[in-house]
Amino acid sequence: MMPREKYKDKAENLYKQVDAYNLVENLETCLACGKCVGNCPVASLNPSYNPRQIISDVMSGEARRWLDSEEIWRCFWCAGCYTVCPNDIHFPLLMMQIRYMAVENNWGLKYIMPFKRFALRAREDGLTFAPSEKGREKIKRYRRNLGVSEWPEISAKAQAEYKELFDLTGTTEFLEKLSDEAERPVRFKYLEGRIVGE
Amino acid sequence: MNEARVIAPEELIPSVPETIFLFRSCTGSMEYPGTENAIKEVLDKLGINIVMDPDQTCCSGYLLTCSAHKPELSLAVTARNLAIVEQKNLDTYMFCNGCYGYNRELAHILKHNPAYMQMANDIIAKQGYHYEGKTGIFHVQELWYRLKKELVARAVVPLNGLKVGVHYGCHYLAQQYQILDDGGYPTFQEELLAAFGAEPVFYKERQACCGYSVGRGFTHKESVVQPHLFKKFKSAKEAGVDLMTTTCPGCNVGLDREQPNLAKRYGEEFDIPVIDLSQLLGLALGVPLNKLGFEANTVPLDKVIEKLGLKKGE
Ligand code: SF4
Ligand code: SF4
Repeated sequence: MMPREKYKDKAENLYKQVDAYNLVENLETCLACGKCVGNCPVASLNPSYNPRQIISDVMSGEARRWLDSEEIWRCFWCAGCYTVCPNDIHFPLLMMQIRYMAVENNWGLKYIMPFKRFALRAREDGLTFAPSEKGREKIKRYRRNLGVSEWPEISAKAQAEYKELFDLTGTTEFLEKLSDEAERPVRFKYLEGRIVGE
Repeated sequence: MNEARVIAPEELIPSVPETIFLFRSCTGSMEYPGTENAIKEVLDKLGINIVMDPDQTCCSGYLLTCSAHKPELSLAVTARNLAIVEQKNLDTYMFCNGCYGYNRELAHILKHNPAYMQMANDIIAKQGYHYEGKTGIFHVQELWYRLKKELVARAVVPLNGLKVGVHYGCHYLAQQYQILDDGGYPTFQEELLAAFGAEPVFYKERQACCGYSVGRGFTHKESVVQPHLFKKFKSAKEAGVDLMTTTCPGCNVGLDREQPNLAKRYGEEFDIPVIDLSQLLGLALGVPLNKLGFEANTVPLDKVIEKLGLKKGE
């Protein structure tokens, strides 16, 4: 039998709290048509992941359910949902903000911690995912063999200014504060499309 | 959906530019440097000039989608990079769906939210930049399609009989407005390849995501991404795909580098080489193999090269 919904801490205006950057705005136009689910690669492999359900829960103020869920960390950010949505609901931008909210509450830190190092590295390089010195050898060899400069042509000015933008936007501080010590465990909220009893 | 989504190539790019600004891609320049070079070689044959600028930085989109920094940074970075292009009075051409998608999305947000535009401009003003929102943002593949006739006229290596499975990539298709084709069922790359004599294959999972962000980047979830990619490659193999093309170095990493891992997990070798569309155009236009950088590919191209009657070193 499907477990019945019980009262959970409903957050009034959760949607506005989540969409703090005002990037989605039209969530209330969701038709619950499910096209997003049909075009979602994660949903096709994993029935507990369901963008339509996430929208419906966010709209009805079911705050906790998604913030401490495993599901929100499965989205590929491919925007397949947005591509087919008849009302152009930008679900990935909602997901991005749900994740920020989760992280502020110390859920899912383990998923973004690996990127702390990459982001701090990118801050120096002006390039994302540049490998360490050893890994650079292969890149340099391939580039040499092509007859182009050994390293992508990025100026010292670009690197310094990129780094400065991290500082000016508070991103350096955000990154330095990230730590998984406060990590709170996440778990699946739905399994096989069913609500897991709480 | 009150705006038309699809735009004709002549409307998107009314006159063929003499010079374009080519936006450097981090993943492209490090993982598959041959892609950028292929674009340069092909544009050279067409007599179109390329400007790049070492002051351009990473688009900063990827780590944004990893929640590893906040939108303020990416908005400022976008404004700064595009301000550099605007100063040159050029349009921006991207060859990475990530760069393309993030720049389009973030520029759209800037242009439609005066407060964000103000914020970004206040920040970059400290470095002497100002972004107006003038430069057009295009994908290099759009230029290829716009120049289909000119390209085909210069082809020297027919792609006859080559079964190509196109991978468009989500972050191109998800830019819903003013892209060349219907994001729900695009066909323009197939049309382009058919004009070169190739046999485009509409394999079942053609539009399925490359899985890059989940498999190699974001959550490192092999358990999610490998079954997904297995489905994709299985359908490509069954449809007889010889070669897969991408228009994004990130997708290329996801699809090319992940194949040995799939073979390990499933005991099934797909052995489908994956290259950028621009590299395939390079092959067709007779760009020498050593200028296309296939040594960076995990799945070797030998069978394709043999099928096209080319020799290594040529
Ligand atoms: S496709 Fe759009 S309208 Fe339909 S359920 Fe998904 S978000 Fe709602
Ligand atoms: S962006 Fe996320 S929710 Fe949307 S289709 Fe892709 S994986 Fe599914």
